This record gives sequence, C-alpha cells and structure tokens, in this order.
Amino acid sequence: MRPILEVREVKKGYRMGKVLVPALYGVSFDVKEGEFLTIFGPSGSGKSTLLHLMGCLDRPDDGEILIDGSNVLKLSDDKLAELRLTKMGFVFQFFNLLPKLTALRNVELPLTIAGVPEKEALEKAKEMLNLVDLEARMNHRPSELSGGEQQRVAIARALINNPKIVLADEPTGNLDTKTGWEIIQLMKKLNEDKGQTFVVVTHDPHISETADRIIYLKDGLVEGIKEAPRRNKQ
Amino acid sequence: MKLSKILATAWENMKQRKLRTSLTTLSVVIGITAIISLASLGEGFRLEIKDRMQRGFELDSLTIIPGSLFAGLSRQRFTDEDVQSISKISGVKVATQVMQIGNVTLHNGNKTVQAFVATAVNFTEFIGVFQDRFVYENEPPTEYKNDTIIIGYKVNHPTENKTTPFAVKNDNITLTLEVLQQSTPPLPPRPELQNYNFTVGGTLQKKGTPGITNFDYWIFIPLETARKIYNNYESDLIFAKVYYPEDSENIAKEIERLFPPYRITILVPLTFIKQVDNILTIVQLFLMAIASISLLVAGIGIMNIMTVSVMERTREIGILKAIGAKSRTVLAMFLAETVLIGIVGGLIGIFTGYGLSYTLAYTLSGFMQPQQQETVFHTPETQRMTINPIFSPEWAIIAFIFAIIVCIIFGLYPARKAAKLNPVEALRYE
Repeated sequence: MRPILEVREVKKGYRMGKVLVPALYGVSFDVKEGEFLTIFGPSGSGKSTLLHLMGCLDRPDDGEILIDGSNVLKLSDDKLAELRLTKMGFVFQFFNLLPKLTALRNVELPLTIAGVPEKEALEKAKEMLNLVDLEARMNHRPSELSGGEQQRVAIARALINNPKIVLADEPTGNLDTKTGWEIIQLMKKLNEDKGQTFVVVTHDPHISETADRIIYLKDGLVEGIKEAPRRNKQ
Repeated sequence: MKLSKILATAWENMKQRKLRTSLTTLSVVIGITAIISLASLGEGFRLEIKDRMQRGFELDSLTIIPGSLFAGLSRQRFTDEDVQSISKISGVKVATQVMQIGNVTLHNGNKTVQAFVATAVNFTEFIGVFQDRFVYENEPPTEYKNDTIIIGYKVNHPTENKTTPFAVKNDNITLTLEVLQQSTPPLPPRPELQNYNFTVGGTLQKKGTPGITNFDYWIFIPLETARKIYNNYESDLIFAKVYYPEDSENIAKEIERLFPPYRITILVPLTFIKQVDNILTIVQLFLMAIASISLLVAGIGIMNIMTVSVMERTREIGILKAIGAKSRTVLAMFLAETVLIGIVGGLIGIFTGYGLSYTLAYTLSGFMQPQQQETVFHTPETQRMTINPIFSPEWAIIAFIFAIIVCIIFGLYPARKAAKLNPVEALRYE
C-alpha cells in the first residue's frame, strides 16, 4: 500500500514564556492508505502534537508532512483549511460537537462549510448517522446524548466529507471502557467495510493492540513501529 | 460557505442570545433614532422658516437705501434720475421712490393719532411694487388726487377696536407736519409745525410683514404734494420690483454699479433667505453630527459585546476551523452578526426616529405658543408656528448605511480576532 501521509523528521516545540519546550524531536513514519494505525505513548510523549501536525491544524518547526506526495506545509492557512475540509476527518477526546446544534446539524456542518446545498447535505448527514446507528437520535442536541453517542456523532461528522484519513485524538479517553471499546469497534468496522484510513492516538495498550500498525512514541521520538497480527491476517 | 448560510447561521446565533442581541440592537436604534429625528425635525424647521420668510419678504422686491453700514449712512439722497436709471435695468419691472416725512399727527374732528412712518409716494408706481400688500378695507379710490391720503391699518385702528376707526373713506382730515423754514444765515433752518388738509382716499387692511416694511404703521401722501410742501425733490428710499426673484441678486449687482462704492445699500431678500437657509442647514448638520456620536457609542458597545462573544465561542471557532472553515468564513460569520444588528437597528431606528420627530415637533410647537404676542412684526402668519417633520429618504438611506458601516467597523476587530485564532489553541480553550 502506498503512503497517503508521510511524516519526515518533524520537530515541534512550544514556547512557554521565554523557554522553548520541545514536544517532538524529529519524527518520521508513513500512513498507508486503508490502514488502521495507532500512535501509542504515555502522557506527554507528543502524541496529540503529532496528530495536530498530521491534521494540518498546526505547523511544525522543522521537517515535512506530505499528503499524496506533496508538502502541505508550504500551503497557505486557507489551503490548509481546504485540505482539512476535503481530506481529513477529526475525532476528539471531548467530542467537540457544537452544543447548540442537533446531531444531524453537527454531522452536516462540514458539508455546509463546503457549500453543499442544504437538502443534499442533510440527506448525506442522515446517511452518516445511519452508518453509526444513530438515525433515531438525529434531532437531539449533544447534551441529550450519552458520551458514546456523542462520539459516534463526531465519527459521522468526520466521515461525511469522505476524507482520505480520519485522525482520532484519544477517542475513548472520555468514555467508560465498554463504550470506548464499542467506539473502537465501530471505527474498525468502518475501516474494514469502507477501507477508511484511521490514525488513532491512544495511551491505552488494549486499544493500540487492535491496530494494523502501532507507532510507539516516547519523549517526542518514535521508539518503535510494530506491525500487528491483524495486518498479517489480510 | 454560502453567504445565505452565513447570514442564516448568524441570525440563529443572535436568536440564541436574545437579550444581548436586543440590547446591542437597541443601542443602534437609539443612535439612528437620534439622527433621523433631528434630520426630519431640522428639515421641517428649515423649510418652515424658509417658507415663512418667503411669504414675509417679497422676494421680487429690492429695497435700496442711501449710504452704507460700513461707510456711514449717506446724507445724499436719491433723485428722479436715479429711479429712472434703475427702472431701465433689464429685469426690473418697476422702480419707485419714497420720501420719508417723519412724525406726523393726524386730526379728524376731535380724534388725534400719531403716525410713526409717514411717507410720500407715487401711488401708481408704489402699488405696482406692493400690489399684494396694498389692499384697501373698502373700495379703492377711483383716482389719486393731490390731497389724497391713504392710512395704514394700525394708524386707523390704534387700539385694534374695529368699531371706532380713526377715519373712514372720504373723511377730511388735517395733518400736522414739521416743515423746515429758512432762517437768515448763519442761523440754521428752524422747524415749524404746519397744518395741511387731506381727504382719506382709503384705509388699508391689516397685512403686516415680518420684513422691514410694515405698512400697517404707515400713512401715504402723494409725492408731488410732499415735494411742494418741503420744497425738496429728493427721496429716501427706492423700491424696485423684478420680474423673476431668482434674478434679484444679479440685478442688485447691476444697481450697485450705477452708484459709487458705498453710496447705497441694497437689501436683497433672496440673499438674506439663502444665508438663513445656509445657517439652518449648518445647524441641522451640526445637530446630526452630535447625534451621530450616540451611534459611535453604540459601535463601541457592539465591539465590546462581540469581543466577549468571540471569547465565549473560542472553542466553537476552533471546531469550525478544525473541520475546515477558512479564516474568512469565520470572519464573515462574526461580521454577519454585526451587519444584521446594523440592518435591524437601522430599520427600526428610521421608524422610531421619524415617530420621535413628530413627538418633538408637537412638543416644540407647544412651547412656541407663549411667544405669540403683539409686536411690530406681528402678522396673521406668525400666530401659530408649526413644524412638520420632513421624512427625507436621502437621510434615511444615509443613516441606514452609516449604521451598517459603524457596525462593520466596530465588528471588524472582534471578527478578525476570531478569524486569526489558532485552531489548536482554540480547541484547548476552556
């Protein structure tokens, strides 16, 4: 499988007052199309920073990030936004749904931003909610949904633009173990059924073990990359 | 993101914060109300004053007096030749001269009145100039003889008691005039009171004017008779009537050219009215500029509220940016809210402003009533001063656009702040 996302010697630090605190020291790896990849590491290892850089939400201090072979960091902020809209899907630990909008409207949001006609966007949103088994709850606001349901809405939203890659930042971190496991199973199912590429950041070894490949991150460096048995089955 | 969707989203956001939106919009409403009410009221006031002045001053008549305010009033008076040369100027319909006689006492039997302004005129010419104001109480005289006297309303009705006028038509009355008699030089001429008999040719209706010539207080005798009595062929005033009032300023310039500098002063009602109109326009604009300050205050309020709103919605902005909203989309979403506040506030303000101008006009008209007292310049027209606010579509459009511009300018800072937010930092915001 050819890589759809390449991370090349990426470095990133954060300025805390006058001190520069390094988060990533030079990270390199590939994401292959259709794989289920987890980035595993303890708290403070730079996982979320790496995910933000991969999702073009932030720019590295040094290094390259290539999507479909082209260096995205040379692009303007607006082009990066367009890239996020068309090629990326995000799932966050705290769901990050808009509290005033219903599940349906939350899922529809990326299409609204893309300027898709409302009728068509709503149809697609319903379809996505159906995919995550939440069509019955589409008119509920996030506050009326359980954590697991909210995360499923977020997954539906991440998938609606048919992105090349879905980036999930600790998607089970705010859920109980059972619900968290259900969410991971849902993502895996989507990965298997639709061939959707997933990159999941986690500090939970059980979750990371479900992946095709695991990137071990520690203190801002890739400690190792492990091909999981699942991949060998394919 | 489509503009219609941005506006719809902005509208939804505003509806979700009803109280805040209402109060912010109210500040714009107050600003626009102040501007529109002052514009409508000012325009109404200006037109009322202009209209009254146009009715009061005969715009087609010029008053030419000897001398100048700057060089001192001239002792040199006007001659028949002066009147003739003025009459010949193109655009002048008729020019007539007036000799002022001074204090005159009128006796009719045992009744005596004092006329403060006694004048000698050529009746035919004079009536040609002041046709509208030279209106008789009864039938006009069939002919003007050498002993004809015409009496103004206030002279004939000194106490406003219409049942007992001083004189009626065809009464024979006596005038006591002060005539200068030659003395043996070097003694100066001495004044002497002399009586002359006149026949009342007619009495004038009450007309008045807010201008300088109020015929209610005047009496008129024939010019030729006065010339013989005083042995003086010069006159004190020339009135000229022009065909078209708009030409009066140019004609005045031509008349000035006939005389040496500072020899005469010409009162041109049109110039005066234009000046007053200009002053009123400036006052109106000044008041509106003050009113505009309230709109600027509203703008600062909008900026304040929107800045708070951006802070509150930082996470929402982060989410929008993370899922692909461009900076300009976020900017447009926040600006749309302020623009909508401007549109709604502006529209409401135009209506309330016009409504308020009527309330103010009504109140102000009430305040003006006590000033209606009997004065020299009292006329039937001044009995009630009413201001009708004028709704000017131009001002409404200007105020409306101004409201939107103010909202955009003051909304720009918070909107740019929102647009520039870093998505990662915005998502972390608690």
